[in-house]
Amino acid sequence: MKLVIHIDMDAFFASVEQNDDPSLRGKPVVVGSPSERGVIAAASYEARKFGVRSAMPAQVACRLCPDLIFVRHRKERYREVSDIVFKQFYLFTSKVEPLSVDEAFLDVSDCCADLLSARDLAVRIKEAIMKETSLSSSAGIACNKFLAKMASDMEKPDGLKVLTPEEATLLIPELPVDKFYGIGKVTAEKLHRYGIHTGADMVEAGPDFLHRNFGKSGSFYFDMARGIDNREVECGRERKSIGAELTFEKDLTTLFGIIAELYRIEQELWRRVEENGAAGRTITLKVKYDDFKQITKSITIDTPVTDFHTLHGRVTDLRKSVDFSNRRIRLMGVTISNFGLDDKPGKQLLIWKK
Amino acid sequence: MMKFVVSSTELLGHLQGISKVISNKNTLPILDNFLFRIEGKNIEITASDLESTLITTMKLENVEGEGTIAIPARILLDTLKEFSDQPLAFEINSDTMAVVISSEKGKFSIVGQNGIDFPVLPAIREDKKFSFFIDANVLLSGISKTVFATADDELRPVMGGIFVEAGTDGINFVASDAHKLVRYKRTDATAESSASFILPKKPASLLRNILPREEGSVGVEFDDKNAFFTLEEYRVVCRLVEGNYPNYNSVIPVNNPRRIVVDRIELLNTLRRVSVFSNQASNLIKLELTGNQIKVSAQDIDFSISAYERINCQYEGEEMEIGFKSVFLLEILSNISSTDIVLELADPTRAGLLLPAEAENDNEDLLMLLMPMMINA
Repeated sequence: MKLVIHIDMDAFFASVEQNDDPSLRGKPVVVGSPSERGVIAAASYEARKFGVRSAMPAQVACRLCPDLIFVRHRKERYREVSDIVFKQFYLFTSKVEPLSVDEAFLDVSDCCADLLSARDLAVRIKEAIMKETSLSSSAGIACNKFLAKMASDMEKPDGLKVLTPEEATLLIPELPVDKFYGIGKVTAEKLHRYGIHTGADMVEAGPDFLHRNFGKSGSFYFDMARGIDNREVECGRERKSIGAELTFEKDLTTLFGIIAELYRIEQELWRRVEENGAAGRTITLKVKYDDFKQITKSITIDTPVTDFHTLHGRVTDLRKSVDFSNRRIRLMGVTISNFGLDDKPGKQLLIWKK
Repeated sequence: MMKFVVSSTELLGHLQGISKVISNKNTLPILDNFLFRIEGKNIEITASDLESTLITTMKLENVEGEGTIAIPARILLDTLKEFSDQPLAFEINSDTMAVVISSEKGKFSIVGQNGIDFPVLPAIREDKKFSFFIDANVLLSGISKTVFATADDELRPVMGGIFVEAGTDGINFVASDAHKLVRYKRTDATAESSASFILPKKPASLLRNILPREEGSVGVEFDDKNAFFTLEEYRVVCRLVEGNYPNYNSVIPVNNPRRIVVDRIELLNTLRRVSVFSNQASNLIKLELTGNQIKVSAQDIDFSISAYERINCQYEGEEMEIGFKSVFLLEILSNISSTDIVLELADPTRAGLLLPAEAENDNEDLLMLLMPMMINA
């Protein structure tokens, strides 16, 4: 039997802030900017009592909770804590699939005999996280990813929930479709339009209907609605490349325009790279001319790109090798690839992973 | 007119103490000079590269006049080196900048420059000032044990210096290039509260050159920009590296389960021989722990060469193998002085620690950390 643990940190960003600054503990805290266009990135449980949620406009949150405390988003700090959390996972199993900085699936089929021993392991993982970071987390234990994720959400915060297949068959029919792991806002709305609101509706709609309207994913939704999820915990899951590109409203004709737009693309790319926490060694510059002819130039460097400065320097080198003279540029893009866990013999490991 | 009489060897000694700061590619021509300041019975001599400034003072019997003059460093050093010890009389004409050095047998004429052109020292910001005293020998050890591990990474300037962390329970010296890390703790030097600075490599090396010249205590004062090291006859002022040093404590493993004790020199010599056979790009050498032995091996497939040697050690754990860059391992072993070293390992992908089996003295704690190299694909 497959055994999956889903660990989800409780109000991660907000908890880190409360942990680092004791004066914030027990108070409604959100990470984000209170500015007019600000959006809440995370809300402490105290803030959630007022109805404050992540992704909510700051102005709305302020109205719900006038005493709300805003703290600045400290990406690096969260990454630091996240690294410690993930280190705990790897102490127990190497089959870890990170979903984001604060949640992951762990496949513990090899080290546990049944759901109960997986539950014991989850307790130890939670304890290890608590010991190393003083942060609480919620664990869901089940025999597949979907149910494990559903379980971790059931007893938050500091939850520990084993979801047996029997219990799942009772719960899923009641579950709103937007709570299904893998069904986002857009799909949920589409399902609603067909009158499908819950797991039970989904089963009733049947596999043919779902497949017809949602393609391959439709069959998968049908499986999920019956508690079936055969997806593996993908431990080596690495993106093959991360890129950013831009088609210009008006073709670029000046070097100044090219440099300026390229810089914007680099910034956007870097934002995505940081979000993914990946670092590749190959940088590719793509340039499409107004006649739709396209060229790419790439360079592979010895060590992964870990800062914007290096990225910009290499892209600049690439740009200088492209002939822009008298050409109209329709599109440019920059891609970073070659992340590979290139643990080749002779690869020197680093003290601080960036 | 300024005049003074000084022993040729004594002056040369002081000049050599400070001359290493003078850069071959100075942007300011005045920095190719020593600045002499004559005041009372003292002469104070300064050399600088703008980032670091070294100052030495000499008390003389025979001094007349007061003022400053910049004298070309190269010509002065080259001349002084060729004298046997004898008194030299310096006569400086403040109007013409003519410098005449009279020896037992002759006269040497140089033209100096106006001392006013020499850059002034930065002032310490009193509101951000922090200071402590440290024994010259302790500071010397702190620098000598760590400076080799600093990085040459222009993109991460903070790693290019020694992190000096002073506190009430001791002073830590830390250096790392992200592959290796050295932490040298001294409990016999303390400060009244906690503060830290990052001492760049060049002034660290300059201090290493000067500190053996004196005994006793060194006054260390610093603010957020500069540090001042004051010895009896020397003073070093340098600009600090700005920025935050990475958190090093969290990366030092505390419970590495495998503990190996081995003769340091024997390991060093084995490594020197075996590493000749390692791949020239990676310098990868492999350590295999079996029973009471370490098998040190290397190969370079490109040239079909390989080598191994076995040395005895104390180890009672499970068999394991781990790879290291031989250059780093050699550097680390060369910077520990104990007879035996303790190697503490966890697994082939996690940091290994190298510690002296016996401390040189009770007040020090030396720890070297080295990240492994991958041995298996």
